[in-house]
Amino acid sequence: MNTRIVHLLLWVTLIFQACDSIEYSPNQIFDNDSPRDLNKKNLQWLSENAADDTIRFVLAGDSQREYIYSKKLVETINDIPGVDFVLLDGDISDFGLLQEMEWVNEIFSGLKVPYIGVIGNHDLVANGEKVFKRMYGDLNFSFVYRGVKFVCHNTNSREAAFNGRVPDLTWLKEQFVPEDGVNAYVAVAHVPPNDGDFDAKLSEEYINTINAHNTLAALYAHIHREDVFYPHGQNIPYICTNAIEHRQFMLIEIVNGKLEFRNITY
Amino acid sequence: MESLNLEILLIKNLLTVSILLFLITGKAQAQFPEILIPKTAIIQYAGSIGYLSAGAGYPLFKNKRGNLDFNYGFVPAGKGGPLHIASIKFAYRPIEIKLKDWGRIYPLNPGAFLSYHFGKEFDLHWDKSQYEKGYYWWSSALRPHISVSNELKLNGKKLFRGSKINSLSIYSEFNTNELYMVSYLQNMGGLGLSDIFKLGFGVRLGF
Repeated sequence: MNTRIVHLLLWVTLIFQACDSIEYSPNQIFDNDSPRDLNKKNLQWLSENAADDTIRFVLAGDSQREYIYSKKLVETINDIPGVDFVLLDGDISDFGLLQEMEWVNEIFSGLKVPYIGVIGNHDLVANGEKVFKRMYGDLNFSFVYRGVKFVCHNTNSREAAFNGRVPDLTWLKEQFVPEDGVNAYVAVAHVPPNDGDFDAKLSEEYINTINAHNTLAALYAHIHREDVFYPHGQNIPYICTNAIEHRQFMLIEIVNGKLEFRNITY
Repeated sequence: MESLNLEILLIKNLLTVSILLFLITGKAQAQFPEILIPKTAIIQYAGSIGYLSAGAGYPLFKNKRGNLDFNYGFVPAGKGGPLHIASIKFAYRPIEIKLKDWGRIYPLNPGAFLSYHFGKEFDLHWDKSQYEKGYYWWSSALRPHISVSNELKLNGKKLFRGSKINSLSIYSEFNTNELYMVSYLQNMGGLGLSDIFKLGFGVRLGF
């Protein structure tokens, strides 16, 4: 009798396993259990945080094809006290495939805090844009956390063949229109404006837009090395995080309207 | 430019469909070379080449243990598409288990196939004006896969008396592609084989 039940359970497990393995195409936009609107859900979670006077968050990027190091990153962040949220700053996937974004989300779901996905150039390959939009949400979006507006946007100009519309400067300018409850800004995108994959025609106006306000920093990934530069000689740092493949990320803190950052190796 | 691309796509799709139809109905063409007439018709569910795909197959080798299939599949919008996929599949059946006179089992059949996704999102060659050579090393349109399948083949003469159907097979097939494979190999212990192998089921009719 018992062996029969065990057999039955084994078969049921096997069938469930098999159903999970059904694939119509590597390029399908979703499957039966693909998560949806992760950014919206995670921002809702973030908004339920009890208020304190420090904003502490992680800037990490380029989880593309790095599942083991991504798991280590999650474990490392979970051990850091007081982290409010994690920015996963693009190239979540390597090939723009649903399966990759699902694998990465499975790992980042292990975080004790919400994470926000930002679009990278690799995420736009093949059907990636559609997969990202359904799973994470818009390519350009913003959220306000404790008086700081995080302006997340698409700077992957090469994927748009440098058509002059990426980054979307009209949208970007609207984000910096003064509003109640916003004292400062942080810009977040994948490709930094001094990179060859950023539309050179737009970089001057882009930097002017970001620097014309009380912006604490602009945050990027993409270049797979740590970098900080101050465009136009102004004192607003443009910070690039190293990649997950090099097991590094930036830990950023905003206290009393001042932003500090340090590179962490794990 | 956009509409030209669409037209090319449409022509490509129509060509593929008409070639398949031609192959499937090829039996009627008396002057058609015998070797080009497909010997099997296939309908497959999932397996990375469409929500549903249909195709025509040819037995290979003297023992007919090999087969070469040409499939056309689609994924409807409600299932994660729309996607249109053409595939060429090869497989070999090294082990045969006879079940009296009514059927055979082929328990473990290795194979390989290529799938091609139609559409402007999928590139066979990356645009040279947009990307430097080697910026992305893979093709987003063309996917090489490896597969392993099992098959239960029933004797059509017993099953459908007096019909032209010689055999009816049902099979299941696991496959993975080169992009899943590099992901697996780079993350040994991080991803399992069950993560990268994807399943499909099919029916094959032999004439």
